[in-house]
Amino acid sequence: FLGAGGGNDIQWCFSQVKGAVDDDVAEADIISTVEFNHSGELLATGDKGGRVVIFQQEQENKTQSHSRGEYNVYSTFQSHEPEFDYLKSLEIEEKINKIRWLPQKNAAQFLLSTNDKTIKLWKISERDKRPEGYNLKEEDGRYRDPTTVTTLRVPVFRPMDLMVEASPRRIFANAHTYHINSISINSDYETYLSADDLRINLWHLEITDRSFNIVDIKPANMEELTEVITAAEFHPNSCSTFVYSSSKGTIRLCDMRASALCDRHSKLFEEPEDPSNRSFFSEIISSISDVKFSHSGRYMMTRDYLSVKIWDLNMENRPVETYQVHEYLRSKLCSLYENDCIFDKFECCWNGSDRQVEFFSLCTSDLSTIVMTGSYNNFFRMFDRNTKRDITLEASRENNKPRTVLKPRKVCASGKRKKDEISVDSLDFNKKILHTAWHPKENIIAVATTNNLYIFQDKMN
Amino acid sequence: MLGKGGKRKFDEHEDGLEGKVVSPTDGPSKVSYTLQRQTIFNISLMKLYNHRPLTEPSLQKTVLINNMLRRIQEELKQEGSLRPMFVAASQPADPLSDNFREAQPAFSHLASPPLLPADLVSTMPLESCLTPASLLEDDTFCTSPAVQHDGPTVKPPPPALQPVKDSFSSALDEIEELCPAPTSAEAVAAESAADDSKAQPSESNIHKPEGLPESRTAESKLMDSLPGNFEITASTGFLTDLTLDDILFADIDTSMYDFDPCTSATGAASKMAPVSADELLKTLAPYSSQPVTPNQPFKMDLTELDHIMEVLVGS
Repeated sequence: FLGAGGGNDIQWCFSQVKGAVDDDVAEADIISTVEFNHSGELLATGDKGGRVVIFQQEQENKTQSHSRGEYNVYSTFQSHEPEFDYLKSLEIEEKINKIRWLPQKNAAQFLLSTNDKTIKLWKISERDKRPEGYNLKEEDGRYRDPTTVTTLRVPVFRPMDLMVEASPRRIFANAHTYHINSISINSDYETYLSADDLRINLWHLEITDRSFNIVDIKPANMEELTEVITAAEFHPNSCSTFVYSSSKGTIRLCDMRASALCDRHSKLFEEPEDPSNRSFFSEIISSISDVKFSHSGRYMMTRDYLSVKIWDLNMENRPVETYQVHEYLRSKLCSLYENDCIFDKFECCWNGSDRQVEFFSLCTSDLSTIVMTGSYNNFFRMFDRNTKRDITLEASRENNKPRTVLKPRKVCASGKRKKDEISVDSLDFNKKILHTAWHPKENIIAVATTNNLYIFQDKMN
Repeated sequence: MLGKGGKRKFDEHEDGLEGKVVSPTDGPSKVSYTLQRQTIFNISLMKLYNHRPLTEPSLQKTVLINNMLRRIQEELKQEGSLRPMFVAASQPADPLSDNFREAQPAFSHLASPPLLPADLVSTMPLESCLTPASLLEDDTFCTSPAVQHDGPTVKPPPPALQPVKDSFSSALDEIEELCPAPTSAEAVAAESAADDSKAQPSESNIHKPEGLPESRTAESKLMDSLPGNFEITASTGFLTDLTLDDILFADIDTSMYDFDPCTSATGAASKMAPVSADELLKTLAPYSSQPVTPNQPFKMDLTELDHIMEVLVGS
């Protein structure tokens, strides 16, 4: 199971791949976000074309003990459409930037999806029965000839083929001048925050015509702008606490109880620059692309261009752990700046919190023990905080034999390239894994390449 | 090399530079440091200029590139005799060309402390209550009132004057091309205010290039053009939340285009147009190299101008 105390490392096997086989990627099919729901039964993806596709895990087949249920398409809907901003003569992209699930309260499922400007609350509900036997209508809806109606009958519900419907229940619009990069649902499950480059707003899920500004870093003179907000998240347990990261590599923790406008942080997390690594690109590579609280909320993880850092909320002056994702790129930063790859926003995620391991949380500091993040060449990386071991795996259709353990990959930074190693210069920088997700309870991961979604599971014995 | 589309020759060039940790103090690698800095500078400029997307460019990317350019400029300033640029000295002597947008000093805040008084800071309520997000965009650029004309030093002109809407700014350009005189009672009085402020910096910086050492000529030329073009991107990237009130300047002088009810009652609406056009022509005369006849040659332009004025006035 999960490495609470070392023990068994997880052996990852290919399970499924979703999406077109074509090498020619349609722009609209580029996956832009991946998210499991709270139970892990549903897996949602958003793409550049504004669509949301939800996969559902099959109920576990008791006879097939060697694998967990497969994920199949459950619902597909168009969440956002492209719009045109007439004031600025610019298009508003329909690309889905983030999806966040609400915890399930009744039979229906709810999720928030957002593009650059508008957040929508979607209700996904199942319909597997329908009323039949109307008194005045035929089955196809046409009205019966009244003269033929001789008896009274009351419609009854009869089973039908399962239909999954998605309907927009709330539209939260016109509150963001800049591009929304994050949404995060509060632990009270009533409010949520949305963050753009310069502001963070607080919403109530029931109220769409009003939101409150809680952070505003827009300078009076825009020419003085040197820093933007890059990500924000609510604390998993404390409903008045949230963090936001910046393009200068800082994280600010704010308490909404301190003041209405949280322009003064409660804590500022920043690591002093390592003078030996100083370069023209120091600032750009320090820009944080993602921030995620650990399950307990005691730690948070940040992703910058070259590394993943784990922070203890009680220590502001440096991270407690730093993991190098692809340090071999440090000598290539100028080229990566030129081709814009240096601006790629990689996300990161924690392992799920295995119920059976919760007992061990008394011994370990946190259930969050493994970190996963993407890289180039369709590689993704995992770091085990306890064993300090890391692994590089590849998401490619060549490894698509179910139940065969994935072979670890290695990049050769310099010198003689060993067999099976890949040299830095052969890496394909167009094949980037920006979005990954870990099942909340089990060792199942979803890894998005440009237009395909890979699902890997651990090898069950 | 670096994936599909990677420029081979550039990579080769760069790999040689990137291998070592370069710092400005190393003796032998000083040249490579300067070379790398120049390269990065060029790349950064290209990124800001060439990018003309259909959608809004990423503010984060723009800010990071701007910071890169500012840092390099700071370094150059400290290293050499490069004075901060306010207006491209390489521009033609006429400061009122269609580059009026570009004259806004982008680095004025580096040269002088912010001159905007603290009490003109945005009207954001602070601790007392939650601010509805809908109110956020009501704070106009009250931090930038009419341009101050005290002394020869250049103050940062009001950012509110920077056109945000492309079609609108091109309309302004057309007007300016036709009627560039700052003193004439033209429609965009605010524009003329900016022109006044521009006239000063361009004169004060004309002697700048001569003072530069030879080796810095290339860099200085780039630096010359930097603030100007910098501003376009900055304005399109940053100034995205002006309200309509900001764009439709409150102080546009519409006296020439107001329709007198009496005259319009007599059906003189059409008569008004030629009259205003004639007045325009009178102002145009000194700036035109050809003799101006108040008829055919300008008719099409004037129709366009009228149309533009209608848009501005909102009639």
